[in-house]
Amino acid sequence: MKNQIVVLLVCIFLMSGCSGERFTEINPHQPFVASVNILQPSLSFFDYEGKEITTWDFDAAYTGAALIQHDRVLMYGHDLTEAHLYELSTGKRVEVIECGAGTTNVYYDEQTERFFMANSKTNTVTSYDSQAAKLSEQKLYNYPMSMTAHDGLLYVVNYKDTVLSVLDIDTFQVVDEWDIAKSSHGIAILEEQHAVWVGGHGQGNRPNETIDVYDLETGERLTEINMPLMPIGITEKGQEVAVISHGKSTLYVANREGEVLWHQKVGANPFAAAYFGKWIAVAGYDDQTIYFVNEQGVEKRVKTKEGPFQLLAREDIK
Amino acid sequence: MRTFAGKIWTLIVSFLLITIAFMYLFTDFLYEQLYVEDTEASMIEFGGKLATKYKGGAVSDELIAEIEEHNNYSIFNVFAVRNPRELSACVPFDIDYETLIGPDERRQLLEGNAVTKIGYEERFERQIISVILPFTDENRLEGILYLYYPLAKISELASKEVVLLIAGVVMFSILIGYLVFKGLKRIMYPLHELQQAVRRMSTGDYRARVGVTSNDEVGQLSEAFNHMAEAIQREDEERKVFLATVSHELRTPISYVKGYSESIQNGFIEGEQKDEAICLIAREANRMERLTNELMQLVHIDTEETDKMYPMVLAETLRDSAALVNTKAVEKEIAIVLELNEEIIIEADEEKMRQIFINLLENAIRYSDRGTSIYLNAVIEDDSAVIQVEDKGIGIPQEDLPRILERFYRVNKARSRADGGSGLGLSIVDKLVQQHRGTLHIESELGKGTIVTVKLPLMEE
Repeated sequence: MKNQIVVLLVCIFLMSGCSGERFTEINPHQPFVASVNILQPSLSFFDYEGKEITTWDFDAAYTGAALIQHDRVLMYGHDLTEAHLYELSTGKRVEVIECGAGTTNVYYDEQTERFFMANSKTNTVTSYDSQAAKLSEQKLYNYPMSMTAHDGLLYVVNYKDTVLSVLDIDTFQVVDEWDIAKSSHGIAILEEQHAVWVGGHGQGNRPNETIDVYDLETGERLTEINMPLMPIGITEKGQEVAVISHGKSTLYVANREGEVLWHQKVGANPFAAAYFGKWIAVAGYDDQTIYFVNEQGVEKRVKTKEGPFQLLAREDIK
Repeated sequence: MRTFAGKIWTLIVSFLLITIAFMYLFTDFLYEQLYVEDTEASMIEFGGKLATKYKGGAVSDELIAEIEEHNNYSIFNVFAVRNPRELSACVPFDIDYETLIGPDERRQLLEGNAVTKIGYEERFERQIISVILPFTDENRLEGILYLYYPLAKISELASKEVVLLIAGVVMFSILIGYLVFKGLKRIMYPLHELQQAVRRMSTGDYRARVGVTSNDEVGQLSEAFNHMAEAIQREDEERKVFLATVSHELRTPISYVKGYSESIQNGFIEGEQKDEAICLIAREANRMERLTNELMQLVHIDTEETDKMYPMVLAETLRDSAALVNTKAVEKEIAIVLELNEEIIIEADEEKMRQIFINLLENAIRYSDRGTSIYLNAVIEDDSAVIQVEDKGIGIPQEDLPRILERFYRVNKARSRADGGSGLGLSIVDKLVQQHRGTLHIESELGKGTIVTVKLPLMEE
């Protein structure tokens, strides 16, 4: 009799587990910056005050996330065969995407309301509409990862190759290919300057020290901006571009012409930076800390789970 | 190697070779353990001191140069690294690059711990012991101090002397093999000698003996062999004497029978003389018959165990025996005086009991003078029945007493043969008494008489 009760309880527990884990809801009017922690798979949400709103702890080994529109977040993992779409306001999983293993990055383009998944096993990029329906797929070069979109074009950095692929989002055909450095990572488009900034780790034992600037139309390499060491995270807001160099744990803030306005050491081995209100949030990967920084220095710091690798910021409260 | 010594030799030498091999491996293992532990400890100590040169902030070129300077003075190889790529800083990214330290080591270093590694390192293309110490500033791994030392194996150290080493091992093995061979030969010598002696014995040479040089198992075996050989030799000699005696005993009556019968055949003897000769032939034939019967009896007693032991009243048997020999006694006008305890009960074979006392009484009658008396007594003494046959006859000389029980031994050969004695009577009695777990004792004085005492155990109640 006792055993039967235990079995029953276990069954109930398992069934409730299967029927969909439910996380703490996030108020749709709540701005946040969320750190995607990959060593202890989790998503930690912080408000403008640097206070933790909540943390979603996952069982799956997610390695990245992307905000889709306003209220959804797509969680994916390089070794996972499916990606999961969660609704923030309900804390529920709403969609499962059978994408196969090898997902390196997901980028959501607000303009076209599509998101793109890059895959290192198939060396492809796949486009989906905002309802997670697969649209088309294109094979690129070795290890497509960093992505950004502008004016109907998708720019994809092939991480283990020396090619940046430019695709037409509608036709999903490659319209241009640029020469870039190997191990490039981090891309941003500065429209007014007609410039594309590309960061990277550098090849072999020689670490990269610069952001390479390419012409938006021709793909010609225009100049480089010295931002040692290993600048890989690029984020922009207003007149500023913030670059995080993980090799020297340094945050550079430059104007849109590429002139470094100020820089400072932040965190231990940070991979991600994001503008968030009056701050630039920086995630220290080695010290599991999120830093809230401005020109004066680190204003706040808050501990997060192990391995904060990516930052998602939501400010556009509607 | 079919010999015993060969097998032992093989065993010892193979054990020796196994021991050498084991010692080699064990020493190698021990060396590595001690060597590695010791080196590791010194490296951590040295590295710890060197790491104090780092005062925080970025790792400068000067610091790297200063640390590399130590390579000139230290037995360890030492260098500082600040390249984040080497330190696995890019780890969440898929990097096609063999870093100096792995992500787990990076974590340990971030926690401020030293990392020690033993094993093959591709970068140095050899087995090394390495100690890695972190340069950390505010949780940032700014660089590392890397110390390593080649892990030379004993075989590597001795690679030049390896021929010498192998030659040494071979020479040592040969020497030990030879010494073991010599030693074994020495130890096995008595066994060899024993083997030779046994071979001689088996061909009928009972004089074979071995020298006893030691008191060990082999020595004791040799001694036992010598005893056995002596016993066999004695037995053999006794057998020969016995056979000679038997043939001699038989030859006399045969020659009588042959002589007289031929004389009768050829008609040399006539009339009354002829009757006398026939009488003689008959007497000698009887003697031969009796002799062979008694011999048969002796052989029987030797080979068969008595199994027909029943309780019996001794007095009755003694009376029967006396009655049976009474005719002979009356012939010589000898009186048999009985004095018997009627309560004596023994466990015995009645037939054999009767034979014992008939033999003893016949002897007494044979060697007693006419008109004397023979006394037959039976009493209980302690737990035994004691029976005495006493005569007042001619007695036995003292010097003959010890041999009186031997087969065919006669005190006076001519006379006893004339009396019809075979010389086996007392031997048979002795054997039968022994079979009944009793003892036989003879006292005698020449010219005065003889007392034969038989002691038999009473029946246990």
